[in-house]
Amino acid sequence: MEENKHATAELTAERSLEIITQQIEQSRRDVSRRTGQSLFVAGLCTMGMAIVVAAVNLILFENGYGGLGHLLWLLLPAVIWLASRQSNKDHEPAPVSIIGKLVGKTWLTFAIFALGIFIVSTIWNSILVRSTTPDVFMANRIMMGPIVILLMCMAVSITGWILKSGWLVWFGIIAGLLFSTGLYTGIGEGIIAHLGTAKSVVMMQYVSPCISVFLIALIGLMLPGLMLKRNK
Amino acid sequence: MFPTLDPLLHSELRLAVMSLLISTEEAEFPYIKEQTGATAGNLSVQLDKLSAAGYIEVEKTFKGKKPCTICRITPTGLHAFEQYVKALKTYLKPR
Repeated sequence: MEENKHATAELTAERSLEIITQQIEQSRRDVSRRTGQSLFVAGLCTMGMAIVVAAVNLILFENGYGGLGHLLWLLLPAVIWLASRQSNKDHEPAPVSIIGKLVGKTWLTFAIFALGIFIVSTIWNSILVRSTTPDVFMANRIMMGPIVILLMCMAVSITGWILKSGWLVWFGIIAGLLFSTGLYTGIGEGIIAHLGTAKSVVMMQYVSPCISVFLIALIGLMLPGLMLKRNK
Repeated sequence: MFPTLDPLLHSELRLAVMSLLISTEEAEFPYIKEQTGATAGNLSVQLDKLSAAGYIEVEKTFKGKKPCTICRITPTGLHAFEQYVKALKTYLKPR
């Protein structure tokens, strides 16, 4: 008959407490590691995609299709899903926790909103650009960059609340306000306008959302992911 | 006088399983096996005992083509665990 040391050992109150403490700490570490791994992978994919989108935008800009590279963002959820699946395969099994689920749902909600605003603004702007004058278009277009950045930073901030990480909460709030305001008012383009040519200003319009996304993914996703993975 | 410790929880393996599940929403059989260091057969028996008492919920499902056993703690299990820890504290208090 199969016997195990667990079944036969005499259990004292001290030993019971030791088991409880050990197991709770271990499962918390595993939950933390799994959540960190997911954030790390999502951050890495987002940063990679930001570089690819910026590069494609710059290449296409030369041919007169500057903003077309942004369509590649639509592939990001699939890229993250595939990378997470692969990364989970390579690691030891971990339990499912409410923390991990909450973080996952927060980013899923962000993805749904971002995708929604992407589709709505693309349709709206396409109609507007064909039916009105450039001045009317510029005044009434939906600028999806600042909205998506604000949503992304909100997700970073909520992730910070869930993980009880004060610096992440504040980073989300500050970065969200700074980057979205910067993109909305075109501060980046303004600086470039002083330094460079009109062509570089237009190029900056296509690249600046990618730079913002890259930085937010680096500090708001990859860094906390790395810290959680190392249990710091 | 010391309160009685729940005999179902006062076993190393069953207590380890319950402690693992207390801080997670659910855990798969291989994870529990790995963390507790138990053999598959013994763990299965102990999980059945906890499940029969209504302390945990065992769901047998599939992950792709592979069978997968998922364990979750129930409200009854949570209450029993809380009572167990409460009783345990009285044993540890200095007299």
